[in-house]
Amino acid sequence: MDELEAIKVTFFQECEELLADLEGGLLAMQDGNDDGDTVNAVFRAVHSIKGGAGAFGLEPLVRFAHVFETLLDAVRSNEVPATPDLVVTLLRASDVLADHVSSARGLGVVDEAVSAAMAAELKACTDPNAAPAPAAVVEAPVFEAAPVAAAPAEALIGADDALDDDDLGFDFQPMTITIDEQAADVAAAAGNVWTVSIRPKSDLYRKANETALLLRELARLGPIEATLDASAIPPLDMLDAEAAYATWTVRLETEEDETAIREVFEFVDGDCDLEITRGEGLSADAALAALLAGETPAAIAAPEPVVIAEAPAPVVVESAPEPVAVAPVVEAAPAPVATPVAAPAPVAAAPAAAAKTQQIDVPGPGQSVIRVDPERIDRLIDLVGELVINQAMLAQRVGEYGIAPSSNLAMGLDELEQLTREIQDSVMAIRAQPVKSVFQRMPRLVREVASMTGKQARLVMDGENTEVDKTVIERLSDPITHMLRNAIDHGLESPEERKAAGKNPEGVVKLAALHRSGRIVIEVSDDGKGINRERVHSIAIKKGLISPELQLTDEEIDNLIFLPGFSTADKISDVSGRGVGMDVVKRSVQALGGRISITSRPGQGSTFTLSLPLTLAVLDGMVVDVAGETLVVPLAAIVESLRPKPEEVRPLGPVGSVLAVRDSFVPLIDVGLTLGYREASPPPTEGVVLLVEGEDGSRAALVADAIHGQRQVVIKSLEQNYQQVDGVAAATILGDGRVALILDVDAVISLRRREPPRPVEPTLIAAE
Amino acid sequence: MTVLSLPETLDLKASGPLKAAFLERRGDAVEVDAGNVRRLGGLCLQVLLAAKTAWAADGKSFSIRAPSEAFVETTRLFGAEGALLSADIHGVQS
Repeated sequence: MDELEAIKVTFFQECEELLADLEGGLLAMQDGNDDGDTVNAVFRAVHSIKGGAGAFGLEPLVRFAHVFETLLDAVRSNEVPATPDLVVTLLRASDVLADHVSSARGLGVVDEAVSAAMAAELKACTDPNAAPAPAAVVEAPVFEAAPVAAAPAEALIGADDALDDDDLGFDFQPMTITIDEQAADVAAAAGNVWTVSIRPKSDLYRKANETALLLRELARLGPIEATLDASAIPPLDMLDAEAAYATWTVRLETEEDETAIREVFEFVDGDCDLEITRGEGLSADAALAALLAGETPAAIAAPEPVVIAEAPAPVVVESAPEPVAVAPVVEAAPAPVATPVAAPAPVAAAPAAAAKTQQIDVPGPGQSVIRVDPERIDRLIDLVGELVINQAMLAQRVGEYGIAPSSNLAMGLDELEQLTREIQDSVMAIRAQPVKSVFQRMPRLVREVASMTGKQARLVMDGENTEVDKTVIERLSDPITHMLRNAIDHGLESPEERKAAGKNPEGVVKLAALHRSGRIVIEVSDDGKGINRERVHSIAIKKGLISPELQLTDEEIDNLIFLPGFSTADKISDVSGRGVGMDVVKRSVQALGGRISITSRPGQGSTFTLSLPLTLAVLDGMVVDVAGETLVVPLAAIVESLRPKPEEVRPLGPVGSVLAVRDSFVPLIDVGLTLGYREASPPPTEGVVLLVEGEDGSRAALVADAIHGQRQVVIKSLEQNYQQVDGVAAATILGDGRVALILDVDAVISLRRREPPRPVEPTLIAAE
Repeated sequence: MTVLSLPETLDLKASGPLKAAFLERRGDAVEVDAGNVRRLGGLCLQVLLAAKTAWAADGKSFSIRAPSEAFVETTRLFGAEGALLSADIHGVQS
């Protein structure tokens, strides 16, 4: 990847974040939060996208962003009121902007007609007479209230606003850019901005040269803005009157090239440290610092430190008093006494370097972020996984030698285990991401689906910051998308129906994420009509999915919608109901080691609950022996383990039995029998019972022969390496190098349900 | 309150005397008459800034009276307007 491509990639990554900020801001406005900060943030997001796009010559994107931004600017300056209707329009515009970004990225094509219509709509909203407000853009606000981290970028981009006067005049000139110039080029749309850092030496003055004249000469090239750094000036009594202390950073806007700038300093060559960089350098930074009440380190170091003044360039050239404007008058008597004092200018140098860095890598507002190739993290996680296995092997070997637990070796091993675990947690935390990245795509989906189906829907999101491993996040998008579509298309009623039912015509779809007992739970709920059980039942019978005489509980009927080939929609709509609906969701969730369930109340809505492991990499498990095989039971599912007494085991039905645990009975499940390791169960009292709880809260007592202990295991996918096995979630490698299967507790519980006592059609159970 | 009248030209030659003039007046409130200034150089600017800081540290008043247009313009060019000509400018001519 060449440099330009790399920068482009960064730009698009930032676009993603900016689009998310944009949408977030607009949604906040929709909720009535239209204070200045929110509107400003929304404006800045679009503005930054435009600025970056300009640098890459992404013209359609720039054009659209420009129109969008103009309207937002009018909103910001209260010229256009932020009515709810307008916010809806802005939201739609943000969708089109997102399309433009995708298109610029080479993903998909923008519907030109839609984009043009949207642009026209935005223009109409801005002002029916089409008069953009350039002045407001130029003066006000780029600096104001901008978070410090984001500010340099803002400042850079701010310069191109000069062009904003005229849409049609926005003519982008593609340029080759290098890393150092990237940020500068953003500003270059408005002319060339240079940062000239001047550090006069004492010799400069001794030779009767003058900084003022240099500044004046610079001002001939274009408007300048000098920032004085007086921090190196010593107290009056210590001051050498003929030594140079003060330094300047000059922001110069000129069409001239670097050579022309250097020529200004021709006569002071060697007597003045000079640094000329393209683009905004320290001056923007310092300007910001001064505007933010001068709370920079420099400001603290010196009482009157960094001050800015606008040099009114034209005035300087034309009306400066004569003696000043003429060339340096060479004075006769140079002062020989002066001790050369090198003007120390560390303060000036350091921020300049900092500013440079920021130009290249602009972190999101308020946070510093390192972008790392995910492959590197994956590799690290793999390695840590191996480390965990290795550590377990080591522990096992040591155990085999019968070394006392109190010995130094054993204690050292314990510490190693602790450390390994901490490393693992830390590494996993690197890869953990908030589900926000998935959630933030959903508002648009809801808007689109609602408009396609003619329903009114409002999406309420909760727990966007819930973190989950990246591997899980990537695969969350599809199921959530499908569930949301389903909720709007099938769950919500039409506005008329809702009114008739005494509900708000606008339906609410809620998307929530939360952590529950070591898993992430995603809930998609709607306040619609709920599942029409009668209809679901009759359709299932009609499609031959279940036998007519079958008696089903409400819950079982609800779960029929997960059957392959089941679709309740009478007509196949664009949105959902292609008959590949929920069973696909269920399968993809199961493939992730997750479960999905549904609860529904007629007239009040349905809730889909999706439960997934937080990570697909490691698991805390109980290692047990079943019929000579070693199995791992996920610790999260285990409530307690016990050895049953004979009087606690009661037979139930021809083959089943239940265990009395305190005041309740739970079914006893022999894991060996269920998984087919053995033909007949030994008496439960000879084994150990693990009381487990399924995702739906149902309890069962799993019978194993012996417990080996608790261990952290690295999950190796069975599906990837072999195929899915009922009742088995995955496999792992144990300390002794053997492969052990990890039990899928819920599947084992539901497998037991298909046993003889209840005559149920195989299709239904397979899908349940 | 003492008055310090600045010469027309505040260049290399003027900086030493200017510093001495300020040191002489240290401890008193000072009013700097900048009405005649036609040229202000970097060295004298440093002296003026240091003096202003010193006066501020002493808690004594330091003001620049009736600065000439050239003085104001050059100060501005230097980016020192805020530091030197802030609050206590009296009767700016420009």
